[in-house]
Amino acid sequence: MSPASGGTGLRIAGLRKWYGDTRAVDELEIEAAAGEILGIAGPNGAGKSTLIKILAGETSADAGEILLDGTPFDPRVEPDRVAVVHQEAQLFPNLTVAENLVVGREGTRALRRGIDDQERGLLADLEILAFADRPLGSVPLAVQQRTEIARALARDARVFLFDEPNSALTEEESTDLFRRMRALADSGKVVILVSHRLAELVEHSTRVAIILDGRRTALLAGDGLTQDAIAAELVVGQAQREPQEQIRIRLGEEAASALRLHDWTHDRGSFRRIDLHIRAGEIVALMGVEGSGARELVRSVAGFERGTGRIEIERRADRGAASGESGFVSSDRKASLFSNLSVGENLVTRLDREISTAGGALRRGRMHAVAHELRERFRVKAASIHVPIRSLSGGNQQKVAIAAAIVRRPEVLVLEEPTRGVDIGSKREIYRLMREYASQGHAVLIFCTEVPEAFEAADLVYVVSDGRLAEPIIVMNHPDIESLAKAITRLERHRGEAAVA
Amino acid sequence: MAEAPGSAASAGTRWAGRARDVGIRAGGLAIAILLVIIVFTLLSKPNTFLSLPNALVIMRYMSTIAIVALGLTLVIVVGEIDLSFGYMYGLAATLISVSWIMWGWPIWASIALAFAAAILVGAVNALLVTLVNIPSFIVTLGTGQLIFGVTLLVSGTQTLNPAYPPDGYTVPQDQIDWFFGLANQHLPFGIPMQGLWMIGVAVVIGFILSRSLFGFRLKAIGGNPAAAQLARLPIVKYKFVAFMGCAVLASLASMLDFAFIGSTQPNLGISLVFPVFAAVIIGGASLSGGRGTAIGTLSGALLLAIIQDGLALLSVGAYLQQFVQGTVTIAAVVLDRFTAGLRK
Repeated sequence: MSPASGGTGLRIAGLRKWYGDTRAVDELEIEAAAGEILGIAGPNGAGKSTLIKILAGETSADAGEILLDGTPFDPRVEPDRVAVVHQEAQLFPNLTVAENLVVGREGTRALRRGIDDQERGLLADLEILAFADRPLGSVPLAVQQRTEIARALARDARVFLFDEPNSALTEEESTDLFRRMRALADSGKVVILVSHRLAELVEHSTRVAIILDGRRTALLAGDGLTQDAIAAELVVGQAQREPQEQIRIRLGEEAASALRLHDWTHDRGSFRRIDLHIRAGEIVALMGVEGSGARELVRSVAGFERGTGRIEIERRADRGAASGESGFVSSDRKASLFSNLSVGENLVTRLDREISTAGGALRRGRMHAVAHELRERFRVKAASIHVPIRSLSGGNQQKVAIAAAIVRRPEVLVLEEPTRGVDIGSKREIYRLMREYASQGHAVLIFCTEVPEAFEAADLVYVVSDGRLAEPIIVMNHPDIESLAKAITRLERHRGEAAVA
Repeated sequence: MAEAPGSAASAGTRWAGRARDVGIRAGGLAIAILLVIIVFTLLSKPNTFLSLPNALVIMRYMSTIAIVALGLTLVIVVGEIDLSFGYMYGLAATLISVSWIMWGWPIWASIALAFAAAILVGAVNALLVTLVNIPSFIVTLGTGQLIFGVTLLVSGTQTLNPAYPPDGYTVPQDQIDWFFGLANQHLPFGIPMQGLWMIGVAVVIGFILSRSLFGFRLKAIGGNPAAAQLARLPIVKYKFVAFMGCAVLASLASMLDFAFIGSTQPNLGISLVFPVFAAVIIGGASLSGGRGTAIGTLSGALLLAIIQDGLALLSVGAYLQQFVQGTVTIAAVVLDRFTAGLRK
């Protein structure tokens, strides 16, 4: 009955990978039969990336069993049997498409070789033969991905794992990619699709596995495989809103608008003609899949993507020099923290006169006092402010990153996926800090990919798809996460259909 | 205050931690210096290497390397590279000597010209690196050659000495006395003037790197340029200051050497590139940015000067000197990798 019962395919049982106390993958069970497309869905930090890394042989599991076609399989020993296709090809941009196909497989021959007939046939099958002599970096992303597929086929890969493969592709290119995925499955390969896009999971997968907190919590197939079902499964067990967090500003109340965008258009086209007002005291979440323009829009408010049109950040007379600014925290912690500095130093990097004399000398005493105070206020769990930032857990690192951005009291606080890769406890605290900062009369704008996050943290949710804003969803009107999830999915679907039509 | 006991305790652990950190860091370098001193003391004739006069010779010899290396440390800490300082060294002395001796400028104007040129060179380097976005390695490789060309053009490749100017030129004696006095004064124990200049520069750079907001942010920018950009730190301004500081200190060292030796020729300074880089690297600055101290760079220069001096006393010849210097530099980096594990 189970598609995997034939014995061919990938079977993962009891897979475990812990990082310290963080259980990235915990007793994970996954079965993918040859000939099917297995979809995998899960929020950020659920363990998808760890699973992909293990299968790609980039890291080893602490425990568990991986069987490929019935025999034990160690991806670290035979990495060529699993091909991971990312949004961007992990190949050599300076080599041609053909060279990328043969590099690493030259064997012992002294002379470089061109591609042989079989490889030529592969490129022809994938309809990229015309690009064979072009440098990989100069061809479209879709062609790069197909090169990666060709490379994997030439190495006789058994498992094809697609990780958010079409986030940067056009509609047409996506359709073609899914067609190829289907063809791979039909030729007996094991195909796994990891995606945030529920519509695509439903349309193209045979079955969809839901991963939460490192475990597979549900497996949807047949009639049970719908977007609403996936959305509901993704938010199972997520905490409900706490009563004190329901204190939100009443909509319609005349609050000063802190941020205004008018006719705001991205200079690279990710979003177009956006009109958006955010009031002081409000937390607004922009949601959208990769490529929807939501991320770019949020970054543009902080000034890290360029746009044309009008953007105004309210400058309030009762504020000091820091007003009229935005503070930004990237979702990439590598780009929001200084790994060569201590926890305390990271907290105060954006300060100047507060920690130095008029002559420019550092006031270490002040610096430490400020850092101590911030550590207390933001409940950063660190042995001392002098320990290296890298010694902190992800959640505490993120608290430091947000504290460092808040400390100058910017009028608008812009956070990109504020709790990405953060444990539940720290998530709570980060939401509390955001709420507190907003309630002091600031606007908080977040880019967010998880419904529970929007539910817990935001007052308003705007779904972004295809570079446009949908009408706002008032979070307070939704009693639970499922209801909010449905509302969001509905808007995304709506937009998607409109775009196709 | 409620947090007083906590902060006192953490201040304690902080000092312990920092002492250990400095200990391990200085440890490796201090042990290396000590080891080299012992080896040379044993190998050399009694009372030659281990003597006050020789110590002062080492001090003078290291001062040129140290002053230039302290400037380079600024650039390295902010995560960039400067290959042009050797040529800047040559240009500064040339500008002073030619404008003073050949063009008849007063000495103060000649010195001002040299430092103005240094600031210009630093600014051009920084401009190309920050606003035009060219890697500093390439920029300074190019500006170095460009500067060298200017130096050859201005000097006419001649050696100049103000005390013996070319026929038909005169230099006021009081200016010569004042200028030579910059690097030649009778000090107690015969301490070299340049050693005092070095200490002065080291104190200033040490303050900037360890005690000023500028140094703090310089480290942040060098440690993670992407984060610095998102935190809106003034990256461009800081890189300008770092490159200008490097060029200015190379010019200062050049001027002092000119004043000490009495004459100058255009291709001086090119041989500085290796020992200066070596001093900075041995001193523990990270070539990927974000890390570096004045005391470390100073110690690096000291180690190199001791080796140079010791080998000269043993009269081993120039070939072995290069060999030993190269070996020591690599050994210092290996040692640093090793102690980095201990520091964590």
